[in-house]
Amino acid sequence: MSIVPKETIEVTAQSIGINNLSPDAALALAPDVEYRLREIMQEAIKCMRHSKRNLLTTEDVDSALRLRNVEPIYGFASGDPLRFRRALGHRDLFYVDDKDVDFKDVIEAPLPKAPLDCSVVCHWLAIEGVQPAIPENAPVEVIRAPSETKLPEQKEDGLPVDIRLPVKHVLSRELQLYFDKITELVVSRSDSVLFKEALASLATDSGLHPLVPYFTCFIADEVSHGLSNFPLLFALMRLVWSLLQNPHIHIEPYLHQLMPSVVTCLVAKRLGNRLADNHWELRDFTATVVASICKRFSHVYNNLQTRLTKTLLHAFLDPKRAITQHYGAIQGLAALGPNVVRLLVVPNLETYLRLLEPEMLLEKQKNEMKRHEAWRVYGALLSAAGQSIYDRLKMFPSMPSPPASTVWKTNFRIIHSCSANKRRTPADLLEEQPPAKKMGNDGALVPLSNNSSDMETDKDPAALGDSSAGRSSPKDIRESLSERRQKRDQLEKRILRTPALLNQAWKDDLDSGRLLLLLFELFGESIFPFIPSPEMAFFL
Amino acid sequence: MDEEEIEKAVMTYLKKKGFKQTELAFQEEQQRQHPKTALHSTNSHVDPEIACQILSFSSELESNPAQYHEGYGKLRSWAYSSLDLYKHELLRVLYPVFVHCFMDLIAKGHIQEARTLFNSFREDHEMMHARDLQKLEGVLSPSHLEEMEFAHSLRQSKFNIKICQYSYDLLLQYLHKTQSVVMLGLINEHINFQVSPGQPTSISDDAEVVTLMGSGQDAVNLINQKEIHWGLLEDSLEERLEKAGALVPDSAKVDGEAREGEVEENKKRPYEGGKQGASLKKSKKDKVATATGKASRVETSTVSVAPRVKPELTLPSIPAEVEHSILEDLRNRVQLSSAALPSISFYTFINTHNGLNCASISQDGSLVAGGFSDSSLKVWDMAKLGQQTGYATSQIVEDSYPSDSLLGANSGRKSYTLFQGHSGPVYSATFSPFGDYILSSSSDSTIRLWSTNLNTNLVCYKGHNYPVWDVQFSPVGHYFASSSHDRTARIWSMDRMQPLRIMAGHLSDVDCLQWHANCNYIATGSSDKTVRLWDVQSGECVRIFIGHRSMILSLAMSPDGRYMASGDEDGTVMMWELASGRCISPLVGHTSCVWTLAFSCEGSLLASGSADCTVKLWDVTASTKLLKTEDNKTGSINRLRSLKTLPTKSTPVYSLQFSRRNLLFAAGVLSKNT
Repeated sequence: MSIVPKETIEVTAQSIGINNLSPDAALALAPDVEYRLREIMQEAIKCMRHSKRNLLTTEDVDSALRLRNVEPIYGFASGDPLRFRRALGHRDLFYVDDKDVDFKDVIEAPLPKAPLDCSVVCHWLAIEGVQPAIPENAPVEVIRAPSETKLPEQKEDGLPVDIRLPVKHVLSRELQLYFDKITELVVSRSDSVLFKEALASLATDSGLHPLVPYFTCFIADEVSHGLSNFPLLFALMRLVWSLLQNPHIHIEPYLHQLMPSVVTCLVAKRLGNRLADNHWELRDFTATVVASICKRFSHVYNNLQTRLTKTLLHAFLDPKRAITQHYGAIQGLAALGPNVVRLLVVPNLETYLRLLEPEMLLEKQKNEMKRHEAWRVYGALLSAAGQSIYDRLKMFPSMPSPPASTVWKTNFRIIHSCSANKRRTPADLLEEQPPAKKMGNDGALVPLSNNSSDMETDKDPAALGDSSAGRSSPKDIRESLSERRQKRDQLEKRILRTPALLNQAWKDDLDSGRLLLLLFELFGESIFPFIPSPEMAFFL
Repeated sequence: MDEEEIEKAVMTYLKKKGFKQTELAFQEEQQRQHPKTALHSTNSHVDPEIACQILSFSSELESNPAQYHEGYGKLRSWAYSSLDLYKHELLRVLYPVFVHCFMDLIAKGHIQEARTLFNSFREDHEMMHARDLQKLEGVLSPSHLEEMEFAHSLRQSKFNIKICQYSYDLLLQYLHKTQSVVMLGLINEHINFQVSPGQPTSISDDAEVVTLMGSGQDAVNLINQKEIHWGLLEDSLEERLEKAGALVPDSAKVDGEAREGEVEENKKRPYEGGKQGASLKKSKKDKVATATGKASRVETSTVSVAPRVKPELTLPSIPAEVEHSILEDLRNRVQLSSAALPSISFYTFINTHNGLNCASISQDGSLVAGGFSDSSLKVWDMAKLGQQTGYATSQIVEDSYPSDSLLGANSGRKSYTLFQGHSGPVYSATFSPFGDYILSSSSDSTIRLWSTNLNTNLVCYKGHNYPVWDVQFSPVGHYFASSSHDRTARIWSMDRMQPLRIMAGHLSDVDCLQWHANCNYIATGSSDKTVRLWDVQSGECVRIFIGHRSMILSLAMSPDGRYMASGDEDGTVMMWELASGRCISPLVGHTSCVWTLAFSCEGSLLASGSADCTVKLWDVTASTKLLKTEDNKTGSINRLRSLKTLPTKSTPVYSLQFSRRNLLFAAGVLSKNT
């Protein structure tokens, strides 16, 4: 009649040493035990309610016992609800899985991580009665955009910044299928012809905009998980490239989510896990992606390029980073334009090459792999520096012309570039003004020439040769190195003469001259292909 | 009817009851009478009906437990097969009869039978009385009946059942016809019928059907007839602002001017009184305005201005700069209505590891306090939270050595101030109106006063004997009230170690409490499913609100002092009119415990926060207007209009607070398991 059977009472009695409990006593005790149990549960539920919970814990039972002046039951305290297990062979018999723990194990075990401390975060649940669709709020629509749930909780400090009003965000069935198909192709069959078709479709189709948040999320996700999967990474970058190409897509709002993944593919230590993976190619490709993003959106995001160059420069100047990371950084900087190279890379070139040189030489670096990598970096540097000097020199009028006419020509150029300046004011933001000024000991011409040189990059035929130069085989360069030593003496005389002459003429050219001199000192003749023929003639 | 048979029955009865003397006397008389009665004299002819009664009574005395089962079963099937029109009224009778059948059986020791009865019929009442049944289920011996408060109060008191005349007649007829004495006895003993002439009441009006009170309905009615001066305090800041606004239109009003306004207002009052004196309702209004000891029952027909009353407590003075800032807030208040909903700023506690018991937000929303089950109280300064990203200052306040711990704790990078001092889970925390003090109540039966400026413990108030469930500062500060498992609520002032008043009367734990806007009353909600209103000055209970079906968890008082809202464990919110003690409308919508309720500053909206992870906004004005129009219609139930449901992301809402500018702050714990 009581839910506590007589047998339980008897067993309990035996366990505390009463062997001769009469059955009558057990029968009489059973109902009382049940009553007491219920009484304690009633108090425990009160404690649970006052702890504002809907889940009864052992703590509540303990405090209920304390309320009744009974000693609490020790040994069951736990922040989490107890885990019960079903006893084998019984349908409704459960027990708490309580394993024996060896003291030694406990003592020797490393200290567990301290639990995170309690904190409070703040957000708007409603603004004038309308719930903003921010990740802190419960999703408004049935189909949740994964990008919204994946947003990191960046707004923990005070008020949320991007409050978007709730938008009904429903994907059509077709778009869902499209998305599934594309992701499947990216993940598993990125080398197929179909994928190429897909990329073409991504780059041209209109009406793909609703998928952008899903794609950005997908890319971020896959990059963070698949760093060792080279084909996947390359496919993802191609996907980014195609999305960027599509004129119907407004990708700007999602750039902040996209950029980390892209930069990762540029400067990550390891991309792919096999030797055969041509991660150089991936880095080069990503560099062009980065450059195109910068070019297109730097007027929307003012600090986009600043932040990017800072990241890349940091990777470049940190000697502890792997040489592959340096390569990525150099390629990225080079892709951002010759001016960036001139302002950021060239000043550090000498120190860097000093560090790089031992890595490149056969006698110093035995590891073939490492040496190869070092030569790669050397090539990249050479091409970047050469690109910048080419750009610099190309704007000069031919050297042999008399000083007077050159002055006039320069003036003309100023006028010309002024107009250019007006036309391309947004592009101005692209430039790193503070370092430009720092370098600008050569007067007001520098920022202007920056602009014009930038314009020229677009149509620069040599830019196409860029990557090929970057990948020029180590052997060639080594040959040129040996040549360099022979020719150095005689060349230096001329070059020394050149600055003197330039000094008279234009300060601007002095700078270029110095630059050229520096580059020549560092790279030797291999820089020559980048120098336009008139100037070349002049130097030689 | 055989006379001997009756005599035999009487004999057994006497024997059984142990009336030895009477038995002997009876036997003597019997023997004396016998020779005569042997002739079957006519004068001793017994009315067969009486004989039948006596016989059946005696047969019952053999205490046949099966009778209860049978009797109840018959009554039940009769009630279910009765006329549709009267059915629901008759069905109401079943529950008290059922409960008492069960308890009678237990009391007589027929535990087995009691169990079978209980189990066979419990399903009928499961929907309405699940919690009570759960409690009763545990009663297994006569001693339990005595011990258990619920059972005890059931045995002591009567059920009130409203029933129409015809249903009542039907029931009596049935009981007579079947001669089920057991049922008749039970019904007589434990049910108090309020027979009303005319048509049966509607089904929906069943909220107060089976209410039950320890003291009985009469006592409740008596209590509820006492006067309540629910008007606002005269000379309150709001009032001053209205006046001052009329006098000094530009907002650049310095403090001196505020005081000036006060003086002018004082001058103005007699004049106003005189003006009102010219009106027809002279006597009534005057009484209200002056609020002498026996003000009349306030039933003003106009809703416009709430009457003003004098404070019964000596109120603390408000510092000038605080007053100034409050006035500034009041001036900048956003007017809320059903069309203009508030903005809600939500504070989410994370990584609490199931340890947070309560959350409290200061008036201006800048401070958030959390009481934890590890005895600690943590306070976050939300104004600072935005600034400190890299570095963070932290302070740990300990009761004993504040200076030492301050030094040691600065190394740990915490964003909150830790107040340590309690020795049991902290169940409640409340900020003083100006945010300079915090009170916390704990399971260690103490209340502690902390200073947010000094970051230290100031006082430990000891008085309760059991865990203190709730503590609330009065709207003016200085005074506070606490409620405890010891079934009392107490009024304290900050400068005294002992409570000023003890309110005793609840039949179970006092779970929550709330001050009335004019500080003259407190309301308490209890596990006995009632809400009571107490006069702070006299300590008497002045209202009992009956209608909830489970433990009361939250209370809120409307700023105009007219209404009160209470929320319970089942998710029901009820709106009461204080003056009449009646429920205006139950607000149904939440599916789980209503942890918190808050009225907007001008009283047009009610916000409720619940364990079902929603904040709901209710329209107060619409429903009270509705009430006005249908005031005299009985049995009309009007539901408060739910304006908006705002779901949170699996975060039960622990606390709600409207700032003076009508921004709503909410706090809750992110719980992952839901």
